[in-house]
Amino acid sequence: MTSKSALLKVILLGDGGVGKSSLMNRYVTNKFDSHLFHTIGVEFLNKELEVDGHHVTLQIWDTAGQERFRSLRTPFYRGSDCCLLTFSVDDGQSFHNLSNWKKEFTYYADVKDPDNFPFVVLGNKLDVPERQVSGEDARQWCRENGGHPYFETSAKDATNVASAFEEAVRRILALDDRADHLIHTNTVDLQRKTPPDPSCC
Amino acid sequence: MAASCSVKVLFEQEGVFRHPSSDEDGIEHDLLISGSLRIVDKDAEIIVEYRPLEDTVDPSNMLCAGKDSSSVMEWDQCSGERSHQLLETQQSYETEWDMVNAVSFKKKTCTNGDSSLNHSHERSRWALAFSVSELRSITVKEEGWTFLTFRLRETSSSLPALHFHQGGSTDFLDNLRRFALLSESPDDDTCLLVSSPNKALSQSFENLLDDNNFGLVQQKFRKDPYVTTLGGFSKVTNYIYDAFRGTEEQHQRPPEEVADVLGEVIPGLEINQQEEPGFEVITRIDLGTRPQVTRREPLSAEDWSKHQDPEGRMTNITHLKQVIFKGGLCHAVRKEAWKFLLGYFPWESTLEERKSLQRAKTDEYFRMKLQWKSVSEEQERRNSKLRDYRSLIEKDVNRTDRTNRFYEGIDNPGLVLLHDILMTYCMYDFDLGYVQGMSDLLSPILYVMENEVDAFWCFVSFMEQMHHNFEEQMQGMKTQLIQLSTLLRLLDLAFWNYLESQDSGYLYFCFRWLLIRFKRELSFQDVLRLWEVMWTGLPCQNFHLLVCCAILDSEKQKIMEENYGFNEILKHINELSMKLDIEEILQKAEGICLQIKSCKDLPQSISAILGFDTEVSGSAPTDYESAPALRPPPRADACSNGHLRETSSHNSCKVAFIS
Ligand SMILES: Nc1nc2c(ncn2[C@@H]2O[C@H](COP(=O)(O)OP(=O)(O)OP(=O)(O)O)[C@@H](O)[C@H]2O)c(=O)[nH]1
Ligand SMILES: [Mg+2]
Repeated sequence: MTSKSALLKVILLGDGGVGKSSLMNRYVTNKFDSHLFHTIGVEFLNKELEVDGHHVTLQIWDTAGQERFRSLRTPFYRGSDCCLLTFSVDDGQSFHNLSNWKKEFTYYADVKDPDNFPFVVLGNKLDVPERQVSGEDARQWCRENGGHPYFETSAKDATNVASAFEEAVRRILALDDRADHLIHTNTVDLQRKTPPDPSCC
Repeated sequence: MAASCSVKVLFEQEGVFRHPSSDEDGIEHDLLISGSLRIVDKDAEIIVEYRPLEDTVDPSNMLCAGKDSSSVMEWDQCSGERSHQLLETQQSYETEWDMVNAVSFKKKTCTNGDSSLNHSHERSRWALAFSVSELRSITVKEEGWTFLTFRLRETSSSLPALHFHQGGSTDFLDNLRRFALLSESPDDDTCLLVSSPNKALSQSFENLLDDNNFGLVQQKFRKDPYVTTLGGFSKVTNYIYDAFRGTEEQHQRPPEEVADVLGEVIPGLEINQQEEPGFEVITRIDLGTRPQVTRREPLSAEDWSKHQDPEGRMTNITHLKQVIFKGGLCHAVRKEAWKFLLGYFPWESTLEERKSLQRAKTDEYFRMKLQWKSVSEEQERRNSKLRDYRSLIEKDVNRTDRTNRFYEGIDNPGLVLLHDILMTYCMYDFDLGYVQGMSDLLSPILYVMENEVDAFWCFVSFMEQMHHNFEEQMQGMKTQLIQLSTLLRLLDLAFWNYLESQDSGYLYFCFRWLLIRFKRELSFQDVLRLWEVMWTGLPCQNFHLLVCCAILDSEKQKIMEENYGFNEILKHINELSMKLDIEEILQKAEGICLQIKSCKDLPQSISAILGFDTEVSGSAPTDYESAPALRPPPRADACSNGHLRETSSHNSCKVAFIS
């Protein structure tokens, strides 16, 4: 698994307008377009990268944030290896909604072990001077909700964007290592992508 | 079993005669048997039966269909060998049919050889009955009246002729066409070849989405990865979901069998995989060739004003709409014409009336605008809905058509108007409020109107059409996705099956197309063109779904050849954005419409989607160029109507069915 390039699926979730699409575009194309349309439907982009000697293809999924479109986006949660919970530091409401996003994801992604599922939290628009959410509040939320890594990013000036995505990859690979370990000790054939349990939900 | 059969008479014609003297030897001359001919639905099997007026029961001469749906004909006159041989064939088909019956209709299993007709009273010497699926051909001849001779598949001889002394043969054939494809034989124009005559096909196709007991749907949903999310779906889908969770008995069927079943119940499926003995691969075409249509020039300002009388009433509106449908509008005409097309201005209104209408609407607009304008910060703090709407609108206005000159740059007045109209719309329809996508619908309208009030009211009209897309449960979107999938199955089942096999049968990838009517897929100018064409309401209801079909038709080859999976299909479709040619698409979509329209054996579900069933003559564009050649003129005995055009178009599909 370390030798060949693995396809890792990550999904960006968060309120409308927090900058999910901008983060994805910044990371994949290294561009920031302030005239970008708001997202309708579901999109994804692929990016190949190397993290700690592992070649991976990151498949980044981006959806529309408005509540109304839930039934459209939730089918795409399945099979995600990591979820990037995104808010914008100049929008307190988007921060408050993080727990809803986490709940929605856990429910629809059919996560078997939610306590160990890799979430990464992004506080975007770091470049905006009028902050409504302090870094301390955000870090506290991450500690209290399962010890998620937290990144303050700016899609506009590219601050921390790559590090956030790379951290997502690291978290996924760390889980895999544990799975590999299990295989050795228990000789249980644990596939990384086992088909979802049909009895759920 | 017999008792549980439901029998429905679908067609009845009295005054149909048999002339025994001409078909059988040793019968008195001049003997005419009068009776009635019926098409009946017996437990989902379509039977043609002829009953003489007086029932003289004589079982020895009963011609009856064999087992329910299999093709065994038991002639009492048959030699022992032949009966034996027939029985064997019957058994080899039996399992297949039982499966179809069980899966598609949950029919009680019919015991082998238990003719559905044996029990009936009609054992008359002169009675006739056969299943439509038995039918091989019908010969239509004239002799002062029309008489029909039926030939069944398993026999070389034909059944006794039926003489329509009181007319009605055309009606009868037309009714038969609902359950079988009749096509003129290439070497005998009096002979209609019958193919794929199975009511089950069309019926289960129609029922696919709403029959609770429809086993197939259960099968299909079971393997779907999204099943667990269906809770949030439409009523229809929930219905299917319930069906999926239903009875256990059908859950063990392996996928290959399901594929077979699919071939049986859905018209147009290509099945020639194993060439199983006993499978006759026949060409079953639901649609003829797609007619080539041409687009025309946009309507000029001069032509527009020619359609106005001195008081300013629009005249010859039907023609006007056709011209707009065929070519769209010159940009100069749009500002005025869109108001009519959208229904803001009544077509019959005079200039004066429109002026006073506009005055009233201006007042009304500003009253509503004042409502949100005068909300204090304190008030807004306590009104979370309004706050959310405002925040979303502000965000979205900044992300709508920002490269268009009307909305580009900072502090462009276009942005303020976009914002104000959307806020006022929230006051107009507070329950709906603002939903993402609405700014996309407003932007072209505002661009054309260049006027806040007119743009608002035109937007209101457009939203009347689009409202259901944005409602809480997104019912409109779900309905359209289901309708689109129904259309795709008709147009190209192989492609639809491919999508299904890639878990893309729900057509999620068309979501953006449908939500905002291709606004993001086409260049701004092409959006204007497409929308004005759609607003004519021509050439059929839900034309935008055919636009989807047209686009997919151009992409399907690539999708299938490259063997795209779920993700690649989505990506491919998303990336079509801004690469589409509107005129080409409209041309194709119109062609598809004509193609479907000229097909007589259209499942009801399709007619309902496209509004063919509600169309009364007159409301349909009469002088619309529906190329007369496409609709064969009805001939007296209707035997010329070749719906089956052997391998004619690229849409032709094959289906194997048991004969
Ligand atoms: N200043 C600043 N603006 C940003 C940043 N990231 C995004 N934006 C702007 O914020 C707005 C929203 O960004 P999007 O990327 O469209 O937001 P989204 O989360 O994808 O929103 P939806 O598609 O509606 O769910 C846009 O106007 C962006 O230009 C950032 O890091 N800094
Ligand atoms: Mg977005």
